[in-house]
Amino acid sequence: MFIKKTIALALSLALAGAMLAGCQSNTPTASGSGSQASTGAADGEVVHIKLFTGKIETIDVMNEIIEDFNASQDRIVVEQEYQKDASNVIKIKFASNEVPDIMTTYEQGFVDEGKYMDLTDLNEFWDRMSPEMKAACTDVNQGKAFRVCTNMTMAGFFYNKDILAQAGYTEFPTQWDEFETMLKTIKEEMPDVTPWFIFGSEAWHLGHLIEFIPHGYLKSTLGTIECKKAMLANDQDVLRFADPDGAMAVFAQNMLDLQSEGLINADVLTATNDNCVQDFANGKAAMFSNGMWALSSVLEANPDMADKIGFAPYPAYMEGSEPVVLSAEDSGYSISATTEHKEECIEFLNFLFSADNQKKYSEVAKAPSAFKDVQAEWAPANIVEEVNAALENAVNIGYTNEKPAGFSGDDAGRYLQNLLAGQYDAQGFAEAYAQAWNDGMAS
Amino acid sequence: MKKKKIGLHLFMAVPAFVLYGIFFIYPLTKGIGMSLTNWNGYSAPEFVGLKNFVDFFGDARALHDIKTTVLFTLGSAPLLNLVGLLYALLMNSKIKGKSVARACIYMPAIISPLIMGYIWYLLLQPGRGILFTVFDRMGHPEWFGNWMGSYSTTMLVLVLVNVWQYAGMTMIIYLAGLQNISQDLYEAAMIDGAGAFARFCRITLPLLIPSIRINVVTNIIGSLSVFDIVMSLTGGGPGYQTETLSIYIMRMCYGSKTGYSTAVAIVMFVIVLVPVLISLRLMKRKD
Repeated sequence: MFIKKTIALALSLALAGAMLAGCQSNTPTASGSGSQASTGAADGEVVHIKLFTGKIETIDVMNEIIEDFNASQDRIVVEQEYQKDASNVIKIKFASNEVPDIMTTYEQGFVDEGKYMDLTDLNEFWDRMSPEMKAACTDVNQGKAFRVCTNMTMAGFFYNKDILAQAGYTEFPTQWDEFETMLKTIKEEMPDVTPWFIFGSEAWHLGHLIEFIPHGYLKSTLGTIECKKAMLANDQDVLRFADPDGAMAVFAQNMLDLQSEGLINADVLTATNDNCVQDFANGKAAMFSNGMWALSSVLEANPDMADKIGFAPYPAYMEGSEPVVLSAEDSGYSISATTEHKEECIEFLNFLFSADNQKKYSEVAKAPSAFKDVQAEWAPANIVEEVNAALENAVNIGYTNEKPAGFSGDDAGRYLQNLLAGQYDAQGFAEAYAQAWNDGMAS
Repeated sequence: MKKKKIGLHLFMAVPAFVLYGIFFIYPLTKGIGMSLTNWNGYSAPEFVGLKNFVDFFGDARALHDIKTTVLFTLGSAPLLNLVGLLYALLMNSKIKGKSVARACIYMPAIISPLIMGYIWYLLLQPGRGILFTVFDRMGHPEWFGNWMGSYSTTMLVLVLVNVWQYAGMTMIIYLAGLQNISQDLYEAAMIDGAGAFARFCRITLPLLIPSIRINVVTNIIGSLSVFDIVMSLTGGGPGYQTETLSIYIMRMCYGSKTGYSTAVAIVMFVIVLVPVLISLRLMKRKD
C-alpha cells in the first residue's frame, strides 16, 4: 500500500512538473542575453543569426549561399527559417519576443512601430542600386530605408502572340476601348478561346487587379510619392475612391461589361491559378494578368510556349491616362531593430548581395536584379525583350505598402469577387471599397 | 484518517487542475483581458473598454457571418444526427457486408477536413470538376449548374459535404447506444404486438437519449465553429458571402486587429454555449 501511494505521489509530482517545464519566460533578462533568436555575443563565441523568410522559390539557393557563407568563416552561423504564412507568423514572433535577426517580411505597420533597423547609411548597398529601386525601398513617412531589395518584379498582361496574330493583332492595345475590341475579336474568331482568363477563386489575384489597374492609375497620374502620401493621409479628395467617375467605379463598370459580354472566363469565381496556367499553356486562354513569378509555371506546363509569350502593360482606362506596368521592388531584406548582432547581419548581407550570389539568386527567382552590376539570365531572351519594351512604353508603378491595417490585398480582392458575383453594381463596389479603406484607416 | 485520505486525493488531482488552469482558465482570462484592448498583435496594447464588443454589433460583415454560421448549424446539426442515426440503425440490422460499409462510412471522419475540402473542390468545381466533366461527356453540362452561383446552393453544398464527412462519427456513437439496448425489451414488445415503428418510438429512441445528447452537443459545437471545410471549399467566398465566424476571427487576428478578434471569439463562445445549454436542459427533462 505504501509503495503504491509513493509511486502515485511521485507520478503526480512528475506530471505536474513536466507540464510546467515549457512555461519559462521569454522576457529579456537584465544581463542582456535577451530573447532574440541569435545567441552567443561574447568575444570568441560563435554568433548564431536567424534569417526568417516566406519566399519558397529561393529556399534552396539561400541554403546554398548560407552554406558557403558559414564555410567561409568561423565566427558567424546563419540559419534559415521558412514559413509559408510568413507575414502572419512574424507577428507571432514579434508578440512572443522571438524576433529573427534578418527577415524578408515587411509591413508599413512594423516600420511605424520601429521594428526594423535603419539601413539608410549603408552605402555599400545603395551605391550599387538604381535610384528607382533605392526610392522604392525608402519609407515615405520617415525618408529612411529599412530594407534592401535584391530584385525587381514586373506585372502586366502575359499574352499568347499566336492567338493575337490570328485575331489580326501584332501589337497589344494601349487604350481600354481598343483592348475591349481586341477581346471581342478574339471571341468572335476563336469561340473556344477565353479572351482574358481571371482566376478569381484566389482573392489575391483579384486584389492584384485592383492594385495594378485603379491604384496603378492613381500612381501614374499623381506620381508614386504623392500617391503614397495621399494614401497614408487617406486624402479622399485626391483618391476619390467612392466617386461615380473615380478610378474604382470606372474600373468596376469595365469589369462588369467584360463579364456580361463573355470576354472573361465564365468560371471567374471558381477558377484557380493552376486552371489559368493550364489553359494559357494549352492555348485555351489568350491572356492573363500576373507578375513574373508566373512565368516558370507556364514554361513548366508547356516549354514550347517560350517563343509565343508576349508581355504588355495594362491599357489606359481613364480619360487622359497612360498605360501602366508594375515595376516594383522585390525580395527585400530587413534587419531587426533589436538584434544584438548588427555587424554580423550586415556582414552576411554583404555576402548575399555580392554580384556572383545575386546572379544565382536572380536566375532562381526569375526576376531581374536590383543591383546594377549583376547580369543575370532570369528569363528567355525574347521574354526579357518583351518586358523591357513594356517598361519603356508605360508608366512604371510600384506596390502600395500604405494600405490600412486590416485591409489586405486579399480583402480588396474579395470586394471584386462580390462585384463579379453580382452583389454590387459599379457604384456600390466603389462605395464599399472606400468604406472598407476608411474603416481600416480609422481603426 | 479520512481527512488524510481527502488531502492525498486532492493532491493527486493537482495535474488535472494544472492542465485545466493552463489550457482553459489562463487562456480565457487572458482572452477577456485582450478583448478589452486595441492590440494589433505586435505593439503595446491600449485599454479600450467595451469598444470592441460595441463595434462587433455594428459590424455588418460580422453579423452576416453569424447568420451564415447559424444557418450552417441549422442545416448541419439536425442532418448529421438524422443521417448518423439512419446509418447506425442500418449497421445494427442483420445485413451482409456491415464491416466494410461501417469502415467506408467512418473513413471520411479520420481524414483532415481541409484535405477533404480540396478533394470535394476537385469533384465539384463548376465548369472543370470531375462531376461536371461526367455530365459534359453525357452531353448535358447544364445538369451540373453552378452551385457557387447563389448563396443558398453554396450553403447547401457546404452542409452536405460536412454531413458526409462527420456522419460516420455520429453513427459510431449511436451504434454504441443501440448495442447497449437489451434485445429482451424488443422481444417483449413484439409479444405484446408492437410494430417496428412503435418499437422504435417506445424503446429505441428513449434509450438512445444519452447518445442523442452527446451527438447533439458535439454537432452543435462542431457546426458553430466550422472552419476547415468552408475555408477549403469556398474560402468564405465569393467575397465574404460564406465566411463563418471562425474564419472572420482568424482574418481579424492576422489583420492587425488581434484585440477585436479576441472580443469576437468571446462572443462566439457565448453563441456556442447558449444552444448547447438549452439542448442539454431539454434532454435532461426527457431523461
